[in-house]
Amino acid sequence: MKKILLASLIAISFIQAKELNPSMQGFMNDLSVEAKKQNPNIQGFDYARGEVIFTTKQIGKKGNPISCVSCHTNDLSQNGLNEHTNKVIEPLSPFANPKRFTDVKEVKKWLRRNFKDVYNREGTALEQGDVITYIINKK
Amino acid sequence: MKKTILTSLLIAGSLVAGSLTANKRGVAPVSDSFYMKECASCHFAYQPGLLPSRSWEKLMGNLSNHFSTDASLEPADNKIILNYLIKNSAENSTDYKRSKKINDSIPKNETPISLTETKYFIKEHRGIPSRLIEQKEVKSLANCMACHTTADTGSYSERAIKIPNYGKWED
Ligand code: HEC
Ligand code: HEC
Ligand code: HEC
Repeated sequence: MKKILLASLIAISFIQAKELNPSMQGFMNDLSVEAKKQNPNIQGFDYARGEVIFTTKQIGKKGNPISCVSCHTNDLSQNGLNEHTNKVIEPLSPFANPKRFTDVKEVKKWLRRNFKDVYNREGTALEQGDVITYIINKK
Repeated sequence: MKKTILTSLLIAGSLVAGSLTANKRGVAPVSDSFYMKECASCHFAYQPGLLPSRSWEKLMGNLSNHFSTDASLEPADNKIILNYLIKNSAENSTDYKRSKKINDSIPKNETPISLTETKYFIKEHRGIPSRLIEQKEVKSLANCMACHTTADTGSYSERAIKIPNYGKWED
């Protein structure tokens, strides 16, 4: 029994996200350090909390209800459509689009902008870590 | 007398020079890959020659509130892009016919940040029925490529206009 449990735990860790490159891993570590500084009880980043952040509608910067799904859709392996401009957005999932989550500067820039558009403020370190965890693991 | 002749020669000369210099059609195409990366991620890469320098300065000074969206850049990157925009702005590209017309249509005391709100632009587009603009394939006049199939090359010639669910434009 214990063996099976162990085996399935190992299996779970194998179907985890694609490996992040060292600079992205560094960024995730920085977020984690920062999040624990703000709240020492934090255990780590969480897929389910990330999903809530990604899918919940807010009254955004423009004054209308909007969520991350509005532009990126619910299927992260498909193209999205920019709700403001009608321009196609390539898939956000690194499984479908290997360029995603490879460039820390790019990721920081878009999280800053997109959180402002949806939440009218920047995301906290915990929120950023959670939402990245969701995006890079979602199948 | 001599003075008058000289002045009229000078005026005539500059008029000829003026008309000769606006000898290229359309606007200069975008030539900068950093501009493409940063300013074409949400929409069509508007050519710098579509607005005067003072408009670009105003627009780049408020990217965190850019048409109700956050398009902010790091200060160093903002500067690189603003330099490119100014170097190629409408009044610095008057050898291109459209840039010259747009620039001439903007009163000196105005600083529009939407080229779709310039007099020249409004005049050129006022004959288009609103249902053709509001339809989902277009959505807004800011979406140049939806109708101008060669807008990305800087050419807005009538021959290359094809409006979705309408077709070629003949007026
Ligand atoms: C108004 C439309 C819009 C909304 C809403 C939006 N995004 Fe984006 N997002 C974009 C665009 C446009 C890009 C960049 C285009 C591209 O790279 O294809 C982008 C890029 C990203 C990237 C960059 C990934 C990479 O490595 O290239 C991340 C991460 C991201 N968005 C997350 C989010 C999150 C989280 C939310 C919700 C808080 C969100 N987005 C809401 C439009 C949007
Ligand atoms: C985060 C998304 C985003 C980014 C990045 C972005 N823009 Fe925009 N831009 C918009 C939106 C949204 C509009 C309004 C579009 C509409 O009315 O359909 C707009 C409109 C414009 C317009 C006015 C178009 C008109 O109506 O005449 C100009 C000019 C412009 N942008 C220039 C730029 C430049 C230059 C950059 C690069 C520094 C840039 N944009 C980057 C989202 C963006
Ligand atoms: C709904 C379709 C549509 C959209 C979107 C659109 N245009 Fe046009 N445009 C036209 C039509 C149609 C004409 C021709 C009007 C006429 O001559 O009657 C025109 C004319 C022009 C002309 C004059 C061309 C000439 O040879 O006289 C320019 C320049 C131009 N458009 C630029 C733009 C730019 C820049 C954008 C984006 C900011 C844009 N247009 C968006 C349909 C469109």
